[in-house]
Amino acid sequence: MINPHSYVLPCIIRTRMYEKDGEEIFVIDGHVHLWDARQENIIHEGGEQFLQCFYDYHTGFTPEEEQWDIDEYRHYGADRMTEDLFGNAAADMAIFQPSYLSDFYDEGFNTTEQNAELAEEYPERFVLNGSFDPRDGEEGLRYLEHLKEEYDIPGVKLYTAEWRDDSKGWRLDSDDAFKFLEKCSELGIENINAHKGPTIRPLNRDAFDVKDIDDAASSFPELNFIVNHVGLPRLDDFCWIAAQEPNVYGGLAVASAMSTHRERKFGEIMGELLFWLGEDRVLFGSDYALWNPDWLVEQVINAELTDEQKDEYGVELDVDTMKKIMGENAAELYDIDIEEKKRQFRDDDITERFDLESHYGGDAGARAD
Amino acid sequence: MGDSGGDPRGTPAVRDRLDRVEDPELARSIVELDYIDAIEIDGGRVEVRFTLPTAWCSPAFAWMMATDARDEVEALDWVREARIELCDHMHETEVTTGVNARDTFGETFPDADGGVAEVRAAIADKARVSTQREAIDALLDAGLDPEQVVALKRSDVDIAGEEAYVSLDGLSVVVDADPIDDYLDRAAESRHVTEPEDALFLTPEGEQIEADRLDLVQKRSRLATVNMGGQGAVCDALHRARHGPEGPGA
Repeated sequence: MINPHSYVLPCIIRTRMYEKDGEEIFVIDGHVHLWDARQENIIHEGGEQFLQCFYDYHTGFTPEEEQWDIDEYRHYGADRMTEDLFGNAAADMAIFQPSYLSDFYDEGFNTTEQNAELAEEYPERFVLNGSFDPRDGEEGLRYLEHLKEEYDIPGVKLYTAEWRDDSKGWRLDSDDAFKFLEKCSELGIENINAHKGPTIRPLNRDAFDVKDIDDAASSFPELNFIVNHVGLPRLDDFCWIAAQEPNVYGGLAVASAMSTHRERKFGEIMGELLFWLGEDRVLFGSDYALWNPDWLVEQVINAELTDEQKDEYGVELDVDTMKKIMGENAAELYDIDIEEKKRQFRDDDITERFDLESHYGGDAGARAD
Repeated sequence: MGDSGGDPRGTPAVRDRLDRVEDPELARSIVELDYIDAIEIDGGRVEVRFTLPTAWCSPAFAWMMATDARDEVEALDWVREARIELCDHMHETEVTTGVNARDTFGETFPDADGGVAEVRAAIADKARVSTQREAIDALLDAGLDPEQVVALKRSDVDIAGEEAYVSLDGLSVVVDADPIDDYLDRAAESRHVTEPEDALFLTPEGEQIEADRLDLVQKRSRLATVNMGGQGAVCDALHRARHGPEGPGA
């Protein structure tokens, strides 16, 4: 199951940036995690079930030769993550999306602080989001201020479906949540990433609800609401809301993995997203380590709609659309200057560590060409 | 399915009944989806074990499938008692115990907000929206214009065998019954389009469609179908990841 090449030596060395139709594509992986699900960190059986469920998602949508074994999946560490993301230039940049799950994991599953360990080592390559939970009240507001001050977070990742004590989750359109959104607005934390996808705990009514995004998005037009997993299994509700709220975006984590073995379904979902949201509001994400951008990015860039799908939706996954989905849309939200980044990456720490000079067209690469 | 194999008391007969039970999220049969692990028959007692694609599937959905399976199997006249066991689920004990004790969902999950009935209705409504598209397409293909389509009442349609008769100002248009029939079944399950004077087709919100919005409503129906199909692909992949391509029984 383990692919020895993927870690030690990438099978295909990418000497140039991704290209489609002769144009370069700058890739910002909009959804990555550095998680810890080792047995010693698990304090509730839910933590084990959660990881097992993630692993089923991993094997279900990963080509066999790229699958990890469960132990490396539990804890891969900062070094391996850096290698997977950048060692072979699978992505140019990545955005951390923390998920705390503190009731399941002693030190948390994937907290801002855990992610910061790596984000601060390569600040030019990572965007570090924080998180909040309105049930934390005043203390939570102080924590949000702390995250802004300590890490200058440009966004937050939210788990509205997370259970806590007697609470079975919370809604983004509640008074309590609005206090936190007001605080985000005040602090300039503009990107609100909400997990609206597969459920985390036994929820019933909440299990298919993305409707709280609607009111939150229209009440805070200055904030951007990125709905992760494009609301699956509530893609229909999500698209309908997004069609009416210009500050609602779709994050492709999970959906992008459907390009493995389910190309047709992936094409249909892309068709719907492009039809209802347009090409400026869809963002790629691997959900690493659920899936590895080392193979996923290439697969998504090369995905095509069938002729029937092109006719039905009147859209195409052409190079301009791909450039936006794979990087430009995230760059817009997180104020990233792609051309400036390309210059910076000719000789940043990652490029030196992995010999990527030629990849970014630096001097060494120009000579090599 | 459909073939009871000659023995009215055998496993195929039980499978035939189970084939009527759907995964509510996907609107597809749990037999077709390969959720059934085992069927054991001992005289008038039947035991059915099933597994869902993940241990995290909504317990409300698991509950619906378990109770529907129990009721379908018990509809066989030779079955005295059906016992259902949910396997490999984070709430397998609660669901299995509750369903076999004939408790309600609320008794089994006292802290769940919202009852199973409203989840069922919400899910059934998605199937209504999804199936409406083909029914309307059949009428548009038969030459009706959008104004005529949105003006139709439930009483304007009669199903006779493989044909559906649609009355239009005294004229009758004949179309294939299948898409209309499927749609009417789903509409009825979601408690819409039940009275003769009810509008035949509705927006996803359950309101009268305006003729110039018919195309948009059709696109929303397409979206509902893509959503269900997408979720079906996710469930199928997870199911295979857990049990291998041959299913749980392999």
